[in-house]
Amino acid sequence: MGGAGAKHHPAPPHNTNQGMDPEMTGQTTGKAIEFDRASVRFGQFQAVQPTDLRIEPGEFFSILGPSGCGKTTLLRLLSGFLDPTEGDVRIGGASMVGIDPSVRPTALIFQNLALFPLMPIWENVAFGLEMRGWSRAKRRDRAYELLAMVALSDHAEKLPAQLSGGQKQRVAIARALAVEPSVLLLDEPLSALDLKLRQHMRAELKQIQARTGITFVYITHDQGEALTMSDRVAVMNRGRIMQIGSPDEIYDRPDNAFVATFVGETNALDGKVASCADGMALVETPLGGFRAANPKGLRAGTEAILFLRPEKLRLLAAGETEDNQIAARVVRRDMEGAWSTLVVETGGRELKLHLPHDGRETLASGEVALGFKAAEAVILPKGEMSDD
Amino acid sequence: MTRLFRAFGTPLSALILLFSGIWIFGLIAAPQLIMIEQSLWRMERPTGAAEISVQIDGLYNQLDVLALDRATVEAETDAAKRAADLAAIDAKEAGLKVDIAALEETESTPVKVYTLANFGQMGTAHLAIFAKTIAASLAVSAIALVVCYPIAYAVAKLETPRTASVIMLGLVIPYAINELLRIFAWQMILNQNGPVNLLLGLFGFDPVPFLESGTGVFVAMVYAYILFMVFPLYNVLETLDSNQVEAARDLGASTWNIHRRVVIPHARPGIAVGCIMTFMLSAGSYAVPYIMTRGTASPWFTQLIYNRFFEATNWNVGAAYALSLLVVCTLFIFGMMRILKVNLKDIAK
Repeated sequence: MGGAGAKHHPAPPHNTNQGMDPEMTGQTTGKAIEFDRASVRFGQFQAVQPTDLRIEPGEFFSILGPSGCGKTTLLRLLSGFLDPTEGDVRIGGASMVGIDPSVRPTALIFQNLALFPLMPIWENVAFGLEMRGWSRAKRRDRAYELLAMVALSDHAEKLPAQLSGGQKQRVAIARALAVEPSVLLLDEPLSALDLKLRQHMRAELKQIQARTGITFVYITHDQGEALTMSDRVAVMNRGRIMQIGSPDEIYDRPDNAFVATFVGETNALDGKVASCADGMALVETPLGGFRAANPKGLRAGTEAILFLRPEKLRLLAAGETEDNQIAARVVRRDMEGAWSTLVVETGGRELKLHLPHDGRETLASGEVALGFKAAEAVILPKGEMSDD
Repeated sequence: MTRLFRAFGTPLSALILLFSGIWIFGLIAAPQLIMIEQSLWRMERPTGAAEISVQIDGLYNQLDVLALDRATVEAETDAAKRAADLAAIDAKEAGLKVDIAALEETESTPVKVYTLANFGQMGTAHLAIFAKTIAASLAVSAIALVVCYPIAYAVAKLETPRTASVIMLGLVIPYAINELLRIFAWQMILNQNGPVNLLLGLFGFDPVPFLESGTGVFVAMVYAYILFMVFPLYNVLETLDSNQVEAARDLGASTWNIHRRVVIPHARPGIAVGCIMTFMLSAGSYAVPYIMTRGTASPWFTQLIYNRFFEATNWNVGAAYALSLLVVCTLFIFGMMRILKVNLKDIAK
């Protein structure tokens, strides 16, 4: 999927004279983004550690992290409201340092959308064109076109306050697309919406991205958003990118303890590597010795953490065996809808496992036998974990 | 009303209503009504005063005739007849004097007459001063707006909260000093041999007659009323979502366009309140023009009102003058509201 967005582009790519061309066609091409040892320091506080990152043209790239991890700072480096303390930021190969936000080939969608409350919807959408000197009639026509694209033609003359959350969201998107950016920056734009609408908007955003071929940089602390929409995801913590990869890579092959715990749910067990061979290792944990994947090649004797996704932990039928087995006692079952989370207790610890909603999950009670495949658990070096 | 009683109980509600009533009547209605009433009447000589005056003249003539009669009677030799005649003349004289006193009383006691004439008393000279005062107050408001807008914007949006509070404190501190003292200080600063002229002298300029030309009034007024412009502006600008400014910039707006299309429209209620306050205070200021010009420049309209009341002791014309000013100020309020498209509810916020 990475970088494939541009291929959906129906028209041959052409160089729009970014933003200033009155004959803008609604077709743009995404541009590549490069961070070159870019860092940001506020006084003593290192908001972003020196970062190297390349985002491909037309890619849907998410930056995922807890609040205060520096993801918004990274976004501001792109939008131009901030320049790196050191290093360089390039869009389409051109250095952006010292370039004002008003002339960058980027458009930003704010967390609170920041629609202009005193302007009718169409004027909001046409604002960027107004600033580029379009005539009133012309920008009005263009605004109506864009509003039609997001199914808001009937609301063009209303004020933002008269629109619902989802409608405002679409106005913000139309307003940003109006200036035909090469890069669209989205700062948690869905966080104010309710669940259903959020899911709907995810699909819509993804569709717009595919259609326009614009490079999307999407900032979020919501892993669901990052995983469902992105071509690639960067997980950030404390100003540092912890891992970059496709959603599958991030989820299935976390690079470190932070990513393993921040993305998705997991059971973490402290332990010590007892022996290792062929990318597998035997770890001694308080719950006993377990065999697990050892992607980092940890040597025998090192402290490690074993991570096990709740959906990889299974209830074993009587007599069934598995690579690793645990005897536990059921504490409670949390109904989650499509699945249930079974909380079990063993050796003074609680473990979680997900059971499909197939009618059998209700039968689990009392003493149970659990098991998991060695390849489905992973051991990683000790490190900071997310306390989410 | 029912809600009020339900929320606060009878005694407290009654008290609230009482105080509200006192407020509305005592602070809003009564002063205006009294001023309006005062402006609508004047004391005039009673009707028929001319005839009374003729009558009085006639009576005085009769007194003179009696004086002649008395001289004739005093030549009379018969003592008894003389005494009797004199007594008769005395009685007549006394009667006449009583009549004259009564008539004079009627003639000189003015009667209260309701009329619009008080409003027609303003000559061209006063009208010119009235117009000048309004124009100058508009200018003061405009200058205050121009001076305060950047300050308020900087404090509300650009500075860190700590710097902002220091700036605000700096703006407020001078207001802890009595207004008169501050004006006197400005008078000294701008005086012929004050520090400003001293400084100008160092650069080879001739002394500028700040006070005599009326410039001093402007300076002191902008200074005296600047807070009434800064605070409404600051309050309203503080509520502006900074993201909107950034959004405008991100969409390609220049600084001027950001202010023209986003910040100023948002600040409209604050601009209206600030302008109204500065205008009202300037137009109604007495101490500032009085102290700053010391009679060397043409007066402010408020000084004329003061003169009507306390020097010409014609309270009715004074009230008419004051009312004219009030009407213009009220028109200004509605004018500002119309221009800036704000309603009373926005302003009350």
